[in-house]
Amino acid sequence: MKKFFLSQVALVAFSLLLIGCSSDDNDPIDVSDDVDPVDSVITGQITEDITLTNDVIWTLDGRVTVVDGVTLTIDPGTIIKALPGQEANASVLIIARGGKIQANGTSSAPIIFTSSTDNIELGQTAGTNLDENDRGLWGGVIVLGRARASLSGDAPENQIEGIPASDTNGLYGGTNDADDSGAMNYVSIRHGGTLIGEGNEINGLTLGGVGSGTTISNIEVVGNVDDGIEWFGGAVNSSNLLVWAQGDDGLDIDEAYSGTISNSLVIAGDVSDHALEIDGPAGSFQAAFEIDGLTLIGNTTTENGEYADFRDGALGTVRNVYATGFKASADVELDNNEVSQNFLDGLITFENWVLNGADNTIFVEKVACIENCDDNDPNNDVTEEIIILDPTFTERAANWTTTGTSGGANTGVFSWTYASAKGAF
Amino acid sequence: MKNFPLLLLSIFFFQATFGQTGVTGTINDGEFNDVLPFANILVKDTQKGTTSDFEGKYTLELEPGTYTLVYSFVGYQTKEITDIVVTEGQLTSTNVTLSASTGQLDEVVITTTARQNTEAAVLSFQKNSVNLLDGLSLETIKKTGASDIATAVKNVPGVSVQGGKFVYVRGLGDRYTKSILNGVDVPGLDPDRNTLQLDIFPTQILENVIVIKAATADQPADFTGGVIDIVTKDIPTREEYSLSVGATYNSDFHFKDDYLASEKSQTDFLGFDDGLRDNPLASNQVVPLPQENGEIVELITQRFEERLAAQRENSFMDFNFSATAGNQYDIGENKFGYLASLSYRNETTYYDEYIDGQIFRKDEADKSNFDLLADRTQNGELGSNNVLVSALAGLSLKSEKSKYRFNVLHVQNGESQASIFRQSNFIISSNNIKKDNLIYTQRSITNGLLSGKHSLGEESDWTVEWSLSPTLARIEDKDFRVTPFRITTDPDTGEETFTIEPSESGIPSRFYRDLEEISLAGKLDIEKKHSLFGFDAKAKFGGAYTFKNRTFEVLKFSIPSLNFPSATLNGNPDLLLADENVYDPDTNSGFYIRQDSNDSDSFDSDMSIAAGYVSEEFKVTDWLNSIVGVRFEQFTLNYTGERQDGSSLDNAEILNTPDFFPSVNLIFDLNEDGDKKIRTSYSRTTARPSFKEASLAEIFDPISSTTFIGNIDLQPTYINNFDLRFEKYGESGDFFALSGFYKSFKDPIELSFIRRAYGQFTPLNLGDATVFGGEIEVRKNLGFIRGLDNMNFNVNFSLIESQQEYSEDEREGRLDNLREGETLDDTRQLQGQSPFLINLGLNYEDEGWNAGLFYNSQGKTLQIVGAGDVGDVFTLPFHNVKLNLSKSFGENNNSTISLKFENLLDDDIESVYQSFGTEDELYSRWNPGQDISLSYSVRF
Repeated sequence: MKKFFLSQVALVAFSLLLIGCSSDDNDPIDVSDDVDPVDSVITGQITEDITLTNDVIWTLDGRVTVVDGVTLTIDPGTIIKALPGQEANASVLIIARGGKIQANGTSSAPIIFTSSTDNIELGQTAGTNLDENDRGLWGGVIVLGRARASLSGDAPENQIEGIPASDTNGLYGGTNDADDSGAMNYVSIRHGGTLIGEGNEINGLTLGGVGSGTTISNIEVVGNVDDGIEWFGGAVNSSNLLVWAQGDDGLDIDEAYSGTISNSLVIAGDVSDHALEIDGPAGSFQAAFEIDGLTLIGNTTTENGEYADFRDGALGTVRNVYATGFKASADVELDNNEVSQNFLDGLITFENWVLNGADNTIFVEKVACIENCDDNDPNNDVTEEIIILDPTFTERAANWTTTGTSGGANTGVFSWTYASAKGAF
Repeated sequence: MKNFPLLLLSIFFFQATFGQTGVTGTINDGEFNDVLPFANILVKDTQKGTTSDFEGKYTLELEPGTYTLVYSFVGYQTKEITDIVVTEGQLTSTNVTLSASTGQLDEVVITTTARQNTEAAVLSFQKNSVNLLDGLSLETIKKTGASDIATAVKNVPGVSVQGGKFVYVRGLGDRYTKSILNGVDVPGLDPDRNTLQLDIFPTQILENVIVIKAATADQPADFTGGVIDIVTKDIPTREEYSLSVGATYNSDFHFKDDYLASEKSQTDFLGFDDGLRDNPLASNQVVPLPQENGEIVELITQRFEERLAAQRENSFMDFNFSATAGNQYDIGENKFGYLASLSYRNETTYYDEYIDGQIFRKDEADKSNFDLLADRTQNGELGSNNVLVSALAGLSLKSEKSKYRFNVLHVQNGESQASIFRQSNFIISSNNIKKDNLIYTQRSITNGLLSGKHSLGEESDWTVEWSLSPTLARIEDKDFRVTPFRITTDPDTGEETFTIEPSESGIPSRFYRDLEEISLAGKLDIEKKHSLFGFDAKAKFGGAYTFKNRTFEVLKFSIPSLNFPSATLNGNPDLLLADENVYDPDTNSGFYIRQDSNDSDSFDSDMSIAAGYVSEEFKVTDWLNSIVGVRFEQFTLNYTGERQDGSSLDNAEILNTPDFFPSVNLIFDLNEDGDKKIRTSYSRTTARPSFKEASLAEIFDPISSTTFIGNIDLQPTYINNFDLRFEKYGESGDFFALSGFYKSFKDPIELSFIRRAYGQFTPLNLGDATVFGGEIEVRKNLGFIRGLDNMNFNVNFSLIESQQEYSEDEREGRLDNLREGETLDDTRQLQGQSPFLINLGLNYEDEGWNAGLFYNSQGKTLQIVGAGDVGDVFTLPFHNVKLNLSKSFGENNNSTISLKFENLLDDDIESVYQSFGTEDELYSRWNPGQDISLSYSVRF
């Protein structure tokens, strides 16, 4: 087990590797060392309390884990640059169950996680060489706790995606909904989201079984390959969240997350998928989330940019939404009969959606294929029948839909963000 | 196909020469499973004769004609064989087994005809063996028309083959079944398996295949199901050349315009890549991100082949040829011989509807829903070309009391595959994906063997045999390319848009895997004939040492893009790395190469086994032959590797287990002729973790999207084996055997899913397991029905039951997902085990004509052990009926034409999910089509 260590020595990142040459036609192409020297490196497991100060730029090297019983404190205005590396080599900050992060930035001195390729310097809030389309340059931040999650087979705990089971610091879930993983306040996470494989990815901020004793507010995720913020169960309340130009979904909810997400903003980029992706419980434990105050800004360039997808037994409430700028074909869909039944049973509710340039026809009931799905011929597929009838889901949506040009989140609280500085909204 | 291997053919220059005229053969000892040296061979009523050499071999030169030969040896029954026909330029082969004369009576003479003798000789090895074994002679293999060993061994009772490659004996595969080459260990050719795949060995290199099912002390201790010993061709006793050519046509596969292929290198037709698919970067190349150094990224990206799409082209038919040459020369008192054999096979398959890797799940929320829910469907087209070249060269030198042999075998295999799949995801993800896959796998194995056999002592009562055998095995996956596009269908127009979305459909990637295994094996066996309790007895002792080193490396690249609208590619994978789309630092847009390798994907391990044994073969009475022995083996495993969390081991000793393995074999003769026997045996054996299993490796498999996690704490499994068998040997090769076996396993190693981490698997020592079963084999000449003298019938049938306890995670996972009314058994069958195996054959032989009708099938086999809500996958029985016809003609019948029909029932190869109370759902299905093969061979 590697111990946390501090190195005041300049890190010569690449030239070390350039030892020896073969005379083949695949001679190495010389890569000059054009990475700025950095001041301090954190790597491996953090096994005693530590504070990252704002007088140096910190480098996150590989999988860094704050283990059970240990607190990582990050001072306001601290910049942490993560080294590149993919898959298992990805630079990731994991707060394991029982570990704590105390990252309390301020609106004038936010804490910034970014890539080592970002030319941001101490005292700045943004560099100049990267933009929101520079994605996947490092991993992300993962916070794991002991709150309940509805897991497959009612398993008591689960391994967070992207971390092999041989690393038990990747476990999340438990029985303590009030669990405290510390606080994240005024934190900006940029250019991350490296992939492990299909469906096995690192989000900007991953919250696995995080309890309500934890503070998650004023968080920004920009240019992440996968989802912006994803909740796997847990009961933590989350407020003032901003996701911009994510590669997949903006806010992603799974495994019966039971907290409230208030006053949030999702701004789609060129390759973004759904603004909201809502899954239901995977086990018998049932709990519903609440989203209150949400602005969704779409665009017409992204191929699969949609408002929202409710799938796999989703449960929850989405109220006070303002959505603007999406393609005409974008929708809010109930994925199959199971989800539609939840709607009929009042387990999925919608309230006060203000749409700009769209109307209640964006609300669509979908059906799943149930027979002959596995051959080449889509024409012989047998699908479910829709079950929300008289009135249909689309017709009922007129009850909570109005058109207008304002509503949703109070975006004034996001003036501290990189997105705001770049004029994303 | 411009490089049609006529070129290779022309290398061989054949010269028809007249060989010796006479009789040749081997004299076997009916008492032991051994040859009988210095026996006398006489032409009846003449003085013309010879004696067998220390290997029991003899050659007697005679004028053409019909002879009766008399075979005799002091203390043995004399045998007369009538009707031996000798023709000009031919050495007639006559092998004889002499049995000891019981009592001190007058000389007993047994008379038999030449034809009956030949057929009986096939079983004589088996009959006289102290081991419980089943031999498969080249004769039998020829009759079934099998072209590789994997296909051939299916004819042995209790043997099944998984995926056309991996052999299971008595339902036990992988670590429980061992394949050895000429009696010594050879490395495997698959990073995921412990055993050697047998489909890469063509039958042309074979002398025979022996499947040993019960251990004796001189056998390695690490087998439980069986040991498959591949014995390569021995040096011929006379000048001999042969040549064969053949072709196979399959109407589903061949001469199809829409066959899928990737680009070929100049040497693909020889079974290896000429460097076209090499990693274009130096091994120490640092690959920066575009944000770090855009110019370098552009240069690096431009070095890669831009082809990522499967191409359409016309498919050619299968063809093959082989040639052998051998001779023996007298050099003074000594004999010097050589043998060279070359075989070439080129096979093309094309499946236009290939379903594979589908996922169906049980409804987790509603246990009363019995239906399996589709999570992933996947089907497409797959084209593959497989080239197999093997070369064997051997020299031997034989003096009066010694024989030395030097053999080199090289097998080269290149398999290129191109496929286009469509995948739909429903539950875990929700999307549609198109994937182009290009795969090239190159395997090679080079084996050297230097061996000696010496007969020592005044009465030749000592025999010393030794062998040294180095082997190099290598398997390379070269530039394995996967390009996934997400498909979005416009609901109104049906128009499809293809985009590259890493988080939905995966990132375009290419990777290289290189596994290299070196083994050095040495063996010494010493045998002493002596007397014990007034009977002949044999003491045997010796030792063996095997060292193996395996290195495994993975190099992975992915192809992300920056500021590039991927929909403009229209789903054409070849455009990703087209010049205009390669990342350009000026515009900060395009596709680029990124290196994704991990240290924890790679490992370097070595293991050694040092062994010594003693055994004694003796008789207490004349009807009970016993062999009792004990073997000692010390196994050590050292490992170098690193885990993702940074913990690492450097040449650390993972295992060091010294163990004793006792064995007892008893053979009861039920009558004086020894043609009814009961065999019983007990032995202790072991099964050891593989290099990959006992490691820190954390290997993500991009094909199945699963992660394998090594278990450094894994311990070997120990097995107690009990066998009982009744055998009856009849006339004309008739044979009947009924066997039963029982095996109990302590701490068996099984790959287990990790409940808390979906898609991750690790090997564990699980609770105890047992395997038991029975086999029946009948070979019968139908001469008892009038007019059917030339017809032979054989059947073998095996019933196998295995009981494996679950791991804690597996039990929990199964309990979580029981349907209403379903109960969980205490155990399940072992992975890869079939509940039954069956072989049927009907063979007709007359005047150069040979016709055979064969049927082979195995019961549904547990292919993939279910994990949580994903159920068990079973391979359904494949009913293979085939017909072989051949006619030999010409001088001495030395030319043969054969015609072979495969899969007469046109059956599919199919695997399904099975779950309580509902219909099966497909895991995979394809149709192998119906092969028609024509071949011609000539000996001269």
